[in-house]
Amino acid sequence: MGIVGSFSGAHFLAKLRQSPSTSPVTMAPDERSPPPTRHRFQRQGFSYERLIKYFFASNAGLTIVILVLIIVFLLKEGLGFFPGYRRELETYRIAGLEFVDISRKNLTAHEQLTSLLNRAYFAEINGKSVREMRRTQEASALFNAFSDQIAPTRDLILNNPQGETDGNSGMLASLRANFEKQRTKALEKPLPTPHLTADERKQLIDSLRSRPAETTDDPPLVTALAGEFAAAQQKNAEPLQAYRATIDTFESAGADLGSAIMEMTESVTATKEKLQSADILEKDRKTLLAAASNEKDPAEREKLLSEAQAALAEKPDIETPIQALLERRPDCIRLHAELKKASADLFPQIPESLTNSDAKRLLKAARGAWPVFLADLDAAPEKINAWKHTDPVPLSDAFISFLTGKDWITGGEWQDFYGILPLAVGSLMIAIVALVIAIPVGIGSAIYVNQFAANREQSLVKPVIEFIQAIPSVVLGFVGILVFGTVLREISVMDSLQWVPGFPIEERLNIFTAGCLLALMSIPTIFSLAEDALNNVPSAYAEASEALGASKVQTTFRVMIPAAFSGILAAILLGFGRVIGETMVVLLVAGNRIKIPDFTAGLGTFFQPTHTLTGIIAQELGEVPLGSVHYRALFVVGILLFVVVLGINATAHHFVNRVKK
Amino acid sequence: MNDLLEKPAIVPTSTAAAVEIRKVSFSYGSTQALKDITLDLRENEVTAFIGPSGCGKSTLLRCINRMNDEIVGTRITQGEILVEGINIHHPSVDVVKLRRDVGMVFQKSNPFPSSIFENVAFGLRMRGERNNAVIAQTVEESLKSAALWDEVKDRLQESALGLSGGQQQRLCIARTIAVKPLVVLMDEPCSALDPIATAKVEELIWNLKHDYTFVIVTHNMQQAARVSDRTAFFYIGELIEFSDTKRIFSNPRVRKTEEYITGRFG
Repeated sequence: MGIVGSFSGAHFLAKLRQSPSTSPVTMAPDERSPPPTRHRFQRQGFSYERLIKYFFASNAGLTIVILVLIIVFLLKEGLGFFPGYRRELETYRIAGLEFVDISRKNLTAHEQLTSLLNRAYFAEINGKSVREMRRTQEASALFNAFSDQIAPTRDLILNNPQGETDGNSGMLASLRANFEKQRTKALEKPLPTPHLTADERKQLIDSLRSRPAETTDDPPLVTALAGEFAAAQQKNAEPLQAYRATIDTFESAGADLGSAIMEMTESVTATKEKLQSADILEKDRKTLLAAASNEKDPAEREKLLSEAQAALAEKPDIETPIQALLERRPDCIRLHAELKKASADLFPQIPESLTNSDAKRLLKAARGAWPVFLADLDAAPEKINAWKHTDPVPLSDAFISFLTGKDWITGGEWQDFYGILPLAVGSLMIAIVALVIAIPVGIGSAIYVNQFAANREQSLVKPVIEFIQAIPSVVLGFVGILVFGTVLREISVMDSLQWVPGFPIEERLNIFTAGCLLALMSIPTIFSLAEDALNNVPSAYAEASEALGASKVQTTFRVMIPAAFSGILAAILLGFGRVIGETMVVLLVAGNRIKIPDFTAGLGTFFQPTHTLTGIIAQELGEVPLGSVHYRALFVVGILLFVVVLGINATAHHFVNRVKK
Repeated sequence: MNDLLEKPAIVPTSTAAAVEIRKVSFSYGSTQALKDITLDLRENEVTAFIGPSGCGKSTLLRCINRMNDEIVGTRITQGEILVEGINIHHPSVDVVKLRRDVGMVFQKSNPFPSSIFENVAFGLRMRGERNNAVIAQTVEESLKSAALWDEVKDRLQESALGLSGGQQQRLCIARTIAVKPLVVLMDEPCSALDPIATAKVEELIWNLKHDYTFVIVTHNMQQAARVSDRTAFFYIGELIEFSDTKRIFSNPRVRKTEEYITGRFG
């Protein structure tokens, strides 16, 4: 039928081409005119062939239309972000928030330094009182485990009113018996207490064994040990008194600057609010005007116009508060100078080093940050004097601030910032971890399965690896939290593993756990594609190589892998695309802290929590007001992801096509 | 015909046999592809294997350097093949080392997707040769022997896939002889080539036979007549006749052979 149809189509085309040669005027039926209707060559009625063809064509067309709609929608929602963000940044400048932030940045640095010094101080003291700390911790742990276990039966007794009838007292008696049973059971296997003496342990357990249900006091030993620990802390703090005094002096040195900033904050926040409400009124007015211009009925139109007129806000007075703010310049500069002097004077009084390893590390970090802090304080007066609230904020500032901003702060009272650097860095670091694991494993297993494995192994390994892909990522995510994250942290506190950088891990959910799970998810992708690439190498290559006396390993590494190289590269890229685009696992496992990781920790950086480009969209999109700058910012992140993944896929495609050529 | 098949074929007395095939039977799974084949391949001679498709000539060829090892479910059921007097199926024989001495050229030219130079150097590099001067010299010699040098000397670093079909096949021959094997097995080397390229390959074989022992499987009677010293005719897994080429083509002993070479079946 198809052949007949296409033949008759060609026939008509030929006729059409020939038609100019025949005279259009005469229209005489000659041998060139179409065959008479109902000729067996002619199409009659509709054809199933065409129907089926159109059905499939519409399916293919639909996917393309949907893709185009997605792109248009993303761009429409997203591109409004930059003007909106520019306006926010302008408000930030005009209202004077930017001016306050110059000083606040230094104050924050001061607070961080204070915190480092304090942590070093406590780490040192607790490090010296470690024996007492362990003893009190162990005793408390044993007691707490005991309390948890007896709590249900104990609560039953305490909540039961003291009855006077026989029935009630009988029930009470049975509750008490139950409590005693539970109490004995709870002490069958008490937690280990390696730092307590046998006598102490016995004393503690005995006191618990005879502990009445009504008692709320801690057992005497627990109280005694807590006292012992406090005494030890006190004793060990004594040699550090000078250090303590230095910290306190340093801390109070920032108080004046802090209160000045607080005062300024109040006034600039008020200005900002005024500006924002004026913006809202202006927006309403524009909506009303637009409605008026579309309105046909003159009376309605007049009404709308008058409403718009009423909404015309008077321009908020920003000059007066700004001038008041600028008058504080000398004051601010003086406070900076004072803080600088105090900090420079105090620096020599900070001890060179401490004994505890944690304390040493923290102190080293503080000492390292000190010169930077002083330099920042030095540079502050110039910045304060150079600042002008009238400087224009060009649109490019919004772009630059978005692409290179180090803060993603939203929903705050002070100022929202949409800088994607922390998110992009988070995504990238997770991807690095994932790929470092998945590339060797995925490609290694592909090489093994394709080149070395026996048939039976092949039929076992391949489906198993490909099955991993079928695990829903949310399931993988919570396995990651419950099993992987917890186990990893428990391993990380083991004494014998303390040489590993980043151990012990502070956060259970971090870059490394997310990376490991994503590696698991991308291994099947990389494996399947790499295996396909190896499979597509013509068997003639392997035959030729072996006939030339190359061993299997030589053939694999000198012939097969180079021939499949482009395909393997494409496999890696597509794995990377999968990792960058994955959302659920990172949302569950990455720890969701929006902060550029602290790279001074070396490899330990990988054990810090982070947030990702995909995770932020999933987490925040449901909660933002429609059409707000924040909402649009998320769309721009989406566009960015789209472009990145598109780029990765296009590159991978390029490599795959190179193989086919 | 049956009594004919039961009799072993008459084997010319060999002067120096590079390869001795002794009563070899071979099976693909349950189908027997070769039945009780016995023949010798003499040094510095060209032996042609002829016969209709599926007669087992390629199978026998691939047995000689154990290329059939790679195919699952195949095995030599009986007999032995000796190369330089060593049974190649003995457990102590390293198949990789065997293939260094028994090279093979395939029906379809299969150069690696690398440069012309690297294609020829491949075998040497796999043997651990690291001296670049030695490699360069061997590559040149081999390409000259394969009568390809003049055509490619200016583009040794270009991809071998850019050569014509005939050039690619000669490159494969150059690659095989670069490692100085004892025996070169050729599995229908000219079936995909035009007559001019075929003539070049045949000339090449003729010139090289002073240094190597050739076995060539071919469907082309004229080719067998032109290049070989001796010819073996196979039919359904059996060796029907094996003798001097001249004799086979002028005065075959067996009627089946005559029918085949005169084109009455095949």
